[in-house]
Amino acid sequence: MKSASGMFLAGAGSRLLPPSIPFRFFGAAVACHLLAWLALLVGAEDVPRFAGGLGWPLAALHLITLGVLAMTAIGASLQLLPVATRRGVGAARWPAALWWLYAVGVAMLALGMGIASPRLLAAGAMATIVALAVYAALLARNLVGARGMPVVVAHVWVALAALIVVIVTALSLAGSYIGAPGLDRTTALVLHIAYATCGFVGMLAFGLSHILVPMFALSAASDERKAFASVALAVTALLLVGALAFGIAPRVTGIGAIGAGAAAVVVHVRLMANALATGMRRRLGRSFVLVRIAWALLGVSLVAGLGVLLDAPLDGSSTLLILLLVGGWLLTFLLGILQRIVPFLAAMHAGQRKLPGKRLPPTPSALTADRPLAIHFRCHLAALALLAVAVIADSAWTVRLAAVVGAAGALAFANFFVVALRRMNVTEAR
Amino acid sequence: MSVPNANALAGGAATPGKRWTDADGLHIDVRGLDPPGPLVAILGLIDALAEASFVYVHHDRDPAMLYPELAERGWVAESIAAPAGEVCLKLERVG
Repeated sequence: MKSASGMFLAGAGSRLLPPSIPFRFFGAAVACHLLAWLALLVGAEDVPRFAGGLGWPLAALHLITLGVLAMTAIGASLQLLPVATRRGVGAARWPAALWWLYAVGVAMLALGMGIASPRLLAAGAMATIVALAVYAALLARNLVGARGMPVVVAHVWVALAALIVVIVTALSLAGSYIGAPGLDRTTALVLHIAYATCGFVGMLAFGLSHILVPMFALSAASDERKAFASVALAVTALLLVGALAFGIAPRVTGIGAIGAGAAAVVVHVRLMANALATGMRRRLGRSFVLVRIAWALLGVSLVAGLGVLLDAPLDGSSTLLILLLVGGWLLTFLLGILQRIVPFLAAMHAGQRKLPGKRLPPTPSALTADRPLAIHFRCHLAALALLAVAVIADSAWTVRLAAVVGAAGALAFANFFVVALRRMNVTEAR
Repeated sequence: MSVPNANALAGGAATPGKRWTDADGLHIDVRGLDPPGPLVAILGLIDALAEASFVYVHHDRDPAMLYPELAERGWVAESIAAPAGEVCLKLERVG
């Protein structure tokens, strides 16, 4: 059996999902990315001093967090986690059903937030929560009995625990819009934001980085002892945020959380920087420029968090913190990683068939459209900078400009994604 | 056949994997290594090979993520007979 870029070999079928599974999650994320910038454009007036409440800014935020970040994280983890745990995720029908429920739920939720329809929001929230619960079950089943990469597994367990907090607080917050309040709103809000960004998506991003960064840099696996120290520090930070949310010595627990979080970030980023510095592949291109910028903005977001905690005299500081955490760190990181994963997975799948003779299968670089990525790079960074200026200057027009530039970048990224899929399918059809 | 030192390509870090030469060619055993250890070891070896056109890989699973990297380097992989629980690949330079 000739395996060019990889025929199915013994045991492979149990771990490698069909390409339609990860790519449907990535495709939905690409679409939500564009929709989020458009929602921001519609709700520009309320963005600079956004402090929660129904409307398009809230819809834009959730299109990014649920639609782009969690959507990408789910697709990537379903594909990559089995590599780490050496256990398949089982039948593909579950991830496929999960996608339908989740994508429809996020669409209803965002629309319900945008047009301020509590019933639509509640229905969308329920579908989203059920889908996330199914995902949590799939993840837990895969993690139980994992046979490799304990560092990745530990990160994902923490992400899973954080997801439970996110689901509970989401139920409470969504319930408050239809007259069924649960937790105190401020408590629920602090837990929801911190555990969604730093807990669920943040820990998945940290954990999967231990597979992806050494794999792309072609370096040795991370030092386990240091990686576990980073996990322990992150857990400490999350627990302290929990205490802060319930009003337990807020200044002390808040500063402690930021201190522990900063230490976790420093240890993690140093491990990643070491992987990049010692890897066989030194030139990782534009994608890893985005990744490095994202790590820097994660550090800046911790400083911003401290500013919010200490009541820094800056209007819109909470909005700026969310922008740094969600846009600066998580979105920038995931878009950087996604532009490497998509052509890599496409090449992996395109080569999973018998090739005549000794013809080489398509390579990741042959499936990558570089020009759209160059446009996206400039637009993404410009849009984030403009949004930061808009928040500081309280300027709705600057938000509109940022949204237009961001949407142009999102369109360019969508172009890159479509080109990669088309090239993969053309190669498969030959 | 002598095995070139692939460690230089990995920034001086030791690349894992047991290597030896048999009558049929160069072999590398990456069984038991966590990702991306096998990937790094195999690519470190073939990147350091100036002349050899064949490498035999002994693995404990299908290294799905290896193939796109091989293709970038002009190599293909062929699955060959292996004992139960082992995946054996014959890598060949074609590009």
